[in-house]
Amino acid sequence: MRIAVAVVGALCAGAVLAQDAPKGSAERGKKLFVDLNCYSCHGTHGQGGGRGSEPPIPLGYPWAGFLQQLRKPRLDMPAYEEKLVSAQEVADLFAYFSSIKAAPAAKDIAKLRTF
Amino acid sequence: MTKARTTPSQAPEDESGLDRRGFLKGAAAAGAATAAAMTAATQIAQAAEAKPAQPEGEANMRGNAFVSRPGSDFMVDVIKSIGIDYISANPASSFRSLHESIVNYGGNKKPEFLTCMHEESSVAMAHGYAKAAGKPMAVLCHSSVGLQHASMAVYNAWVDRAPILMFAGNGVDAAKRRPGVEWTHCVQDPAALVRDFVKWDDQPGSLQHFAESTVRAYKMMMSPPQDPVLITLDIDLQEEPIHGEKLSIPKLSLSAPPQADARALREAAKMLVAAQNPVIVADRCVRSQEGVDALVKLAETLQCPVICNGSRMNFPSTHYLNLSESRPGLIRNADVILMLEVQDPFGTLHSMGDPWKDVRRAAKPDVKVIHITLADFLMKSNYQDFQRFQPVDLPISGDAQTSIAPLTEEVKRGLSSARAAELAGKADATKKRYRDMQERTKTAAALGWDASPVSTARLSAELWNAIRNENYCLAVSDRVAWPKRLWPTTKYHNMMGGSGAAGVGYSAPGAVGVALANRDKGILTVTLQPDGDMCYAPGVLWTAAHHKIPLLIVMFNNRGYVQEVMHLQRMAGLHRRDPKTAKVGTMIYDPEVDFAKLAQSFGVWGEGPISDPDKVGPALERGLKIVKGGAPALVDVVCQLR
Repeated sequence: MRIAVAVVGALCAGAVLAQDAPKGSAERGKKLFVDLNCYSCHGTHGQGGGRGSEPPIPLGYPWAGFLQQLRKPRLDMPAYEEKLVSAQEVADLFAYFSSIKAAPAAKDIAKLRTF
Repeated sequence: MTKARTTPSQAPEDESGLDRRGFLKGAAAAGAATAAAMTAATQIAQAAEAKPAQPEGEANMRGNAFVSRPGSDFMVDVIKSIGIDYISANPASSFRSLHESIVNYGGNKKPEFLTCMHEESSVAMAHGYAKAAGKPMAVLCHSSVGLQHASMAVYNAWVDRAPILMFAGNGVDAAKRRPGVEWTHCVQDPAALVRDFVKWDDQPGSLQHFAESTVRAYKMMMSPPQDPVLITLDIDLQEEPIHGEKLSIPKLSLSAPPQADARALREAAKMLVAAQNPVIVADRCVRSQEGVDALVKLAETLQCPVICNGSRMNFPSTHYLNLSESRPGLIRNADVILMLEVQDPFGTLHSMGDPWKDVRRAAKPDVKVIHITLADFLMKSNYQDFQRFQPVDLPISGDAQTSIAPLTEEVKRGLSSARAAELAGKADATKKRYRDMQERTKTAAALGWDASPVSTARLSAELWNAIRNENYCLAVSDRVAWPKRLWPTTKYHNMMGGSGAAGVGYSAPGAVGVALANRDKGILTVTLQPDGDMCYAPGVLWTAAHHKIPLLIVMFNNRGYVQEVMHLQRMAGLHRRDPKTAKVGTMIYDPEVDFAKLAQSFGVWGEGPISDPDKVGPALERGLKIVKGGAPALVDVVCQLR
């Protein structure tokens, strides 16, 4: 929830900093996502941490907001400076996020309908 | 439970009339004539050299001298008298006599000796058992090194308010200790190792003292707040024969739990009835289904949402007033919060940023807080489990479970018919809020549904679908959050909380202890088992197999200590260094642990590792067949990190 608030803020910033994302590689981004341990909080599919403390990453948000949250994060997420994660690597990560397909709806999953 | 008896100590000693104590007295007498002229060292040397006509050891080997009624037989009588069904231990010389008496004199029934491979496992099993059985079991520990092994598990039980009757063998009389290891393992004050986190301890100097202290310890342990107690067993007291002294076992009568003051409850009721947005936060509140039912009545009377912290199954997840997943909003908007045995009131009203330690208020500044707790009765200074001090508007000392029903009566008395109707009118809105919360939870569970490694939500859903028609128990319910969020819980025994102090190593043995208690009740026990925790003392798998304790262990195998990965990431970010290094020292791969093979090596049915989410359900079904046959089974599922 806290990250969701942060992302809303980042979206607003994104409107100001509107620009297209640089070209990135989803394949490299997926590897980076694991190497950088992003998946420890966010899950390999951006689904979140599963303990209620690390929420999912909303899909489909703009590049500027993504970049801002990575470089100057709000709340408890560590900062990833350019010297540690280059602009190209950020673009790769963004390409990976953008490639993640939306999850099926809960109502379409038989095993979730049992709850 | 209330038994008084004359012990078998009246029975004659061994037929030869020779016993160990008599021999030692004789040896001492032989040297007495010249003792005054000797130095202490000379006396010891001469006593050691004394050669009686028939030394006890030789006599025993020849078969004409025995200890037919050792003190440890009487100890078994005492342990039986207070209704202990199981006693867990890693075998050790400091309680060899009691061990033998349990098996042969006591018939190895009530208590039955449970063979453990680590004292931490012995205690954690007893911890889980106590919560599931509603009664304690006993643990035997070996003086210094055994108690040192046990200590973290004792601390877990202390924080989790779980009663455990602990015994530690020890040799008090230095003159009788065997040279070498026995000296190394003996302690002047064994209980000092754990005194900060046991409720009471004693070192009895006689069998009568043992009987009285054990019954006293049991009584104190079971009076809320319940916690472990420790009795030290002197080796000689166990091994020497019972003489002619008359021994008796005191009658055990348990104290009624302390109910909160009636005037304070009346004041609390007034505040709750008048509140516009009250919330109940329940932590280590409930000890039985009776407590769950009482809390439901209170919440329904007030139409008050309940947040269950998860350390106990305080409130059914199927009830529309269980809004645990809406916690932030409920706390933020509350004008009155009723806390029931909440361990961390400050943390309930605040959060703290990390790493800058900025405190964020989570509740209104003027929220009124009522807290029913016995925490003030069980604080010690050294260990800081009492958390940061939080002023409370109406602090009430009392046992929360016992105090809920009288509080409900006060609420009913304080409700006008108009106010009761007004509260009843809130139900529809609350039900909608509950349904919305459930839908949000299911939507969140769908994210990463087909991910490989398997998402923890998927794993939890697969496990639920495998057990949904069973009378089930999730033995450790705080390591993966999804069951608490998703699974329908209606009974106290459905979820057994966690370790208490977050001391890693509880989950596997704690689950075996829960399953042991449930075996006797016909409840199917499953657990979601973190891999890091399993690696602490996996020998408990053998204990489960050997004693035929049915338990489905589903590995939540994320191949690491992932919380620590996140800490390392945070530190690397803070220090402007490479975040990729966060895996160093935190992940468990290269090589990867094969938990199915580990289980098989201990005689437990095992399958895995499974990374394909579609293969999880069938594997769980196969494991359940084994468990329903009366044995443990393990399914290793490779999961997302959290």
